[in-house]
Amino acid sequence: MVETFNPTDSKESLKLLIEEASLKGADRLNRYPKYRFFGYFCSYFPEELIIAAGLHPLRLLPDSENSTPVELPAYCCSLARGTLDMEVREKWRDLVGIGFTHTCDTMQCLSGIWAASGQSKTVDIVPPVMLKAPGASRYYHAELHTLLSKLTDLTKQKIEAEAIRNALILCANTRKLAAELDVLRPNLPSPLIFSLLRAGQLMPRSEYTHALVNSFPALKEMAEEPHNKAKVLVSSAVLENDSLFEMIEELGGRVVADDTCTGFRHFSGVTVSGSEDPLLDIVRRYSEMPPCPCKNRSLNERISYLTTLAKQRHAQGAIIIVRKYCEPHAWDAATLSESLRKNGIRTLTLELEGANAGGQERTRLQAFLESLLGYEL
Amino acid sequence: MHTTKEKRRNYRPLVSNKALQQTMGSYYALTSWHRYWGKFLRRPLAWVTSGAPVELLRAFNIHCAYPEQYAAIYSARKATVDLCEVAEAAGYSQDLCSYARSNIGGVLRPDLAPLGGMPKPDLLVACNNICGTVLKWYEVLARHFNVPLLVLDTPFLTDQLTPQVKDFVLEQLYAMAADLEEITGRRFNEKKLAEQMNLSRKITSLWIETRQYCQASPSPLNAPDLFINMAPIVVLRGSQKGIDFYRKLKDEVKERVELTQGAIENERIRLVWDNIAIWPQLFSFYKMFSEKGACFVTDTYSGGWAVEQAPGTPMESMATTYTEVFLNRSPKFRANQLINLIKEYRADGFVMHSNRSCKPYSLVQEVIRKEVMRETGVPGLMIEADMADPRAYAEEPVRNRVQAFLETFDDLK
Repeated sequence: MVETFNPTDSKESLKLLIEEASLKGADRLNRYPKYRFFGYFCSYFPEELIIAAGLHPLRLLPDSENSTPVELPAYCCSLARGTLDMEVREKWRDLVGIGFTHTCDTMQCLSGIWAASGQSKTVDIVPPVMLKAPGASRYYHAELHTLLSKLTDLTKQKIEAEAIRNALILCANTRKLAAELDVLRPNLPSPLIFSLLRAGQLMPRSEYTHALVNSFPALKEMAEEPHNKAKVLVSSAVLENDSLFEMIEELGGRVVADDTCTGFRHFSGVTVSGSEDPLLDIVRRYSEMPPCPCKNRSLNERISYLTTLAKQRHAQGAIIIVRKYCEPHAWDAATLSESLRKNGIRTLTLELEGANAGGQERTRLQAFLESLLGYEL
Repeated sequence: MHTTKEKRRNYRPLVSNKALQQTMGSYYALTSWHRYWGKFLRRPLAWVTSGAPVELLRAFNIHCAYPEQYAAIYSARKATVDLCEVAEAAGYSQDLCSYARSNIGGVLRPDLAPLGGMPKPDLLVACNNICGTVLKWYEVLARHFNVPLLVLDTPFLTDQLTPQVKDFVLEQLYAMAADLEEITGRRFNEKKLAEQMNLSRKITSLWIETRQYCQASPSPLNAPDLFINMAPIVVLRGSQKGIDFYRKLKDEVKERVELTQGAIENERIRLVWDNIAIWPQLFSFYKMFSEKGACFVTDTYSGGWAVEQAPGTPMESMATTYTEVFLNRSPKFRANQLINLIKEYRADGFVMHSNRSCKPYSLVQEVIRKEVMRETGVPGLMIEADMADPRAYAEEPVRNRVQAFLETFDDLK
């Protein structure tokens, strides 16, 4: 690793994080030539075990939203199409392996397609969907054991309990820092926070936490006093760039609560530790984190959680993003919107092909944000 | 002897269609009038997914209705577009499953739904062995009706069934039985469950046997026959009425084989179908094939109900059987399944319906298609459509592709 990628200066650290978020791991071989990366797709893939296996977790994000690999039909989300196309173009060639978690039907299918048509080695974990079902924790624990064996086979190295405990500590620290960043959210530009959180899913975690700690003085310096922007909650699946958040900011909005897969939801919830078997701590972490729409802890838990979050953050409005062909988020959109509206929070549901917000979205966002500001007056 | 009309249609209608209509007609009437007898007989009405462990529900005297099956009827009766538009106006994306959208449309506007829509449920039972959509769909229904939702979580099998998966499903089944005791006020009776499993085994055996007759040349049944005649095994699994019907069907199909009577005239090309039927085009679509002498001798969809029960106690058997359904398996498993069907039924090719409404079935099809073609050497055609929503069906491009595909067999026979 070259020295410039471990800066101690606050502004340099911030610059590094923004760069990493923008590169989405594309320059990893130059920046971290001695590191071995392991790709993963979803926040439900336990990063702790990747780290304990001596690997660095890299969230796989597409470099284009217009890719059309022959293996997938057009009516499939651009995240799956884009990342599979990159596999075909050998962009993930250096990865030790790629981890799939069964969350949505598309990810489940992508795992099989990848194994059949890609070159990378794939590893699956199938967590329970019904997280509070009888026997779910026991099953999850057994699945983690299986995953551990698969990672051991992949790296040809035994993964010690101590290594898992250390990984738990590192991940807990990362999540704590992300939570501190989330506190600064109302006073900092929304795309900046979103970018910094994304970097934490792409960079080696030690380097990330180091750079994030260093960047806090610069961030606090940048923080503005209370503003008159329209306060919004954003809920979405993966967003691989800051386009939407930039547009919200530009049009007079400020994201005060972020429920996106690649945003704060990835870090939210607690990391527990101290169990004799560290895998039990991992089960608890992933069973208790605020659920994505693919998981069920109880019928209305996710809807209630987001409604409460919006109220706690004094959000005036909520922007519900449905990424084209993302079924779990599309299913929840109607109920979530209804619940928020009943609680006096205006909503806008936007369908995006990928992460980029275009002219049509700008018009709708502008009208929505202006209505929030006008409503407040 | 064929009538002129039948000749023009180029297919041979089944005599047992009348028994099918009677069997299903009586089931729908019973379901529609449930409010008049359900409470009196202490038999709650459950809406269930097609992959739910219905034998357990029947052991509690629960009457089951299938939103997926009603959605297929809505589609065949050309009501899907209107119903989907109701759901879309309520905020459900047009990209979501058309069965789910039309069902929700029927819930919101029963006046637009054939059969007057579905009667209100007392409980909902979903099993995610067929897709993740059912969980989200049934969550919406549970909120709307404010009734209990029981979910059986059957983890996706990336390879073989593992002990940890089986234990997890088994534990949930026992918990579900406890929930059903509370809901129905009846005690769980394992002997009664065993009886239901036994009836289920009988109906499944008859369906398997009937389908196996299609290995004969010419095939006594074509895809529309299989799709129409699968209705009782979906909704009347574990019932004597269902068994009685399949005995009649099997006898007729057996007789056709003995008389060398094909489902279509001049069977020239034998094909295998993959995916749910295109319900709104059920006859016109398959006619494109039958008029060229192409018969679908078997399929993966209605074959989903032609699977023997796994061994073990009734609960263990259910845990394994319902987790191992083909849609809960890897593309490798599904490719092997298709390869075996092509070999067993001596098929000349296969057609895959890339079904916009069913991602678990469809997204992996291209990988499977390549593998099956490589292994068997027979051609496979992919057609994009939707199982229920006719707006996703472009007739001319489909016709062109079908014609081009069928021309590849011109030198075959």
